[in-house]
Amino acid sequence: MLEATIGRPNGRAGGINRLVVLSAVLATALVVGLLVGLKLWSSPGDPGSFPSSVQIEQQYGVRFSRIAVVGDGGLITLTYVVLDSEKATRFQSDVGHPPELRSEARDGGTKRVSVMKQGHSLRAGQTYYLVYQNTKGALRHGERATIQLGDLALRHAPVL
Amino acid sequence: MKRLTIQRALALTAAALLVATPVLVRTQASAAAEMSEGVLCDTDPNQTFSLTARDGYISTPDGNSIYMWSYSNSKRGFQLPGPTLCVESGRQVTVILHNSLPEATSIVFPGQQGVKANGNPAQPQFDSGGSLTSLVQTAAATDGSVTYTFTAGSPGSYLYETGTDVDKQLQMGLYGALVVRPAGHPNQVNDRADSAFANGKEYVYLLSEVDPDVHLAVERNQPVDVNASKSRYFMINGRSMPDTLAPNNAPWLPGQPYGALVHIKPYDAVTNPLPATIHYLNAGSVNYPFHPHGSDERVINRDGHALQGGSGEDLSYLKYDLDVGPGQTLDVLMDWRDVEHWNATTNPIPTQLPAITDQLLVGSDTWFSESGYLGTKNAVPSNLTQNNECGEYYHIAHSHALEQATNYGAAFGGMMTVFRIDPPAGCVSQ
Repeated sequence: MLEATIGRPNGRAGGINRLVVLSAVLATALVVGLLVGLKLWSSPGDPGSFPSSVQIEQQYGVRFSRIAVVGDGGLITLTYVVLDSEKATRFQSDVGHPPELRSEARDGGTKRVSVMKQGHSLRAGQTYYLVYQNTKGALRHGERATIQLGDLALRHAPVL
Repeated sequence: MKRLTIQRALALTAAALLVATPVLVRTQASAAAEMSEGVLCDTDPNQTFSLTARDGYISTPDGNSIYMWSYSNSKRGFQLPGPTLCVESGRQVTVILHNSLPEATSIVFPGQQGVKANGNPAQPQFDSGGSLTSLVQTAAATDGSVTYTFTAGSPGSYLYETGTDVDKQLQMGLYGALVVRPAGHPNQVNDRADSAFANGKEYVYLLSEVDPDVHLAVERNQPVDVNASKSRYFMINGRSMPDTLAPNNAPWLPGQPYGALVHIKPYDAVTNPLPATIHYLNAGSVNYPFHPHGSDERVINRDGHALQGGSGEDLSYLKYDLDVGPGQTLDVLMDWRDVEHWNATTNPIPTQLPAITDQLLVGSDTWFSESGYLGTKNAVPSNLTQNNECGEYYHIAHSHALEQATNYGAAFGGMMTVFRIDPPAGCVSQ
């Protein structure tokens, strides 16, 4: 009975139902669109969302602050703020064990690091950087990566 | 009923998604388009530009934040340097300057003739005591404006910059690039056919410097001693290494929209016959001996004039170190040629390949893809996915005054970037 009523295109109830369904669907689409839009806007480009690791900061004296794909996709910059000059200098001088950057979306990573020049007396509060070759496009804009440093890992870092 | 309703709902949902998807796709596509390389021109059909002198902040790679003054498109926010204005030679250009700064400012257009300010000849200004106050008519402090007009001169690149309290205001960032194109030949540097460059391979390198003490004094409204100034940051397009490697409009550099990465393929007579062009402009106070590794560049213009003799003979020259003097501009053509045609199988490099590139920067394997052959990668250590994206080359390019290649003394930084050379077939990750 209800099915028959709604099935009639000229029925008042059917028109109202259609309006209700249409409104609900459009409202849902709007909400979904807004949520997706907010997701696109807020991550991972929001610099405030960069994670931190107390263990890494205590052991290495640095706080990582940004991963960015640059060089038209061929290079990556990893920046870090020095918290403890002595520990950070050891970290930078240990060229045989640079942090490895690994995509959390697929297999792949890079630890082929270059620049900046070692030997600085790293000053607390100052930002320094490493440049990586983006091995096989290991990291891409808009995804999350893990910074692996010895046994410690900093996960879910946004890739700009 | 349920079936019908669900079908309708599904249909409506699909319709709604069809409506919504292009919006989302367009958003992402726009973001991708904005993250680009190469020159970003401000253009206008009538060659009329509205600029606002305003203050803002830039960031430096060492984490500093610097108070700046700069010109910006009046419809956009603060940016350093000022917008790159691209115009056509022989046509009138109008620049309307609005001033929101706390002191009078202006624009001079070195190399342009017959410049007028509010319809009158642009000329130096003096106070009642006869002292020079500005090289040209000003826009008054806070809310003044002035309109400059001129006919765009010979094709090439030019600075536009403040003509008022120049030592201070230039240091504060009031400068930009003006690119004058030959009429009817937008892909030539000048009127000579041999100045043609590859489509999309045009780059502006606006070189400048910052003394943070001067900027802090201005921000705090304290006296400025420009004679005691010592610059600590050196920039290409308002950025220092490694920010120079980042794309145009990188979201983490909102006030510094212009990147400085040259990205080309090797010269090939058939598939890639035309060079790239780089416009070098010095908005600073000292020489910037800019030094691209890897290949010479052909200087074809100086200060907006083609290097040619009275009979049109070509006087361009190849240069390995480009000395760009204060206020000077150089336009160059550059390509990368695989001169030796090294090939791992048919023409191997007749020496043991080094384990490093030409610079030992950090480790024993830096900037090296385990292969000296463009587009080729050798076996990689097990802990790596690949050595680099596709066996491409990166050549460092930097100021050879090495204090200019630092971020407040910390190398490598400052006036430095890389030139990227992809394999002939393009860069396909392997």
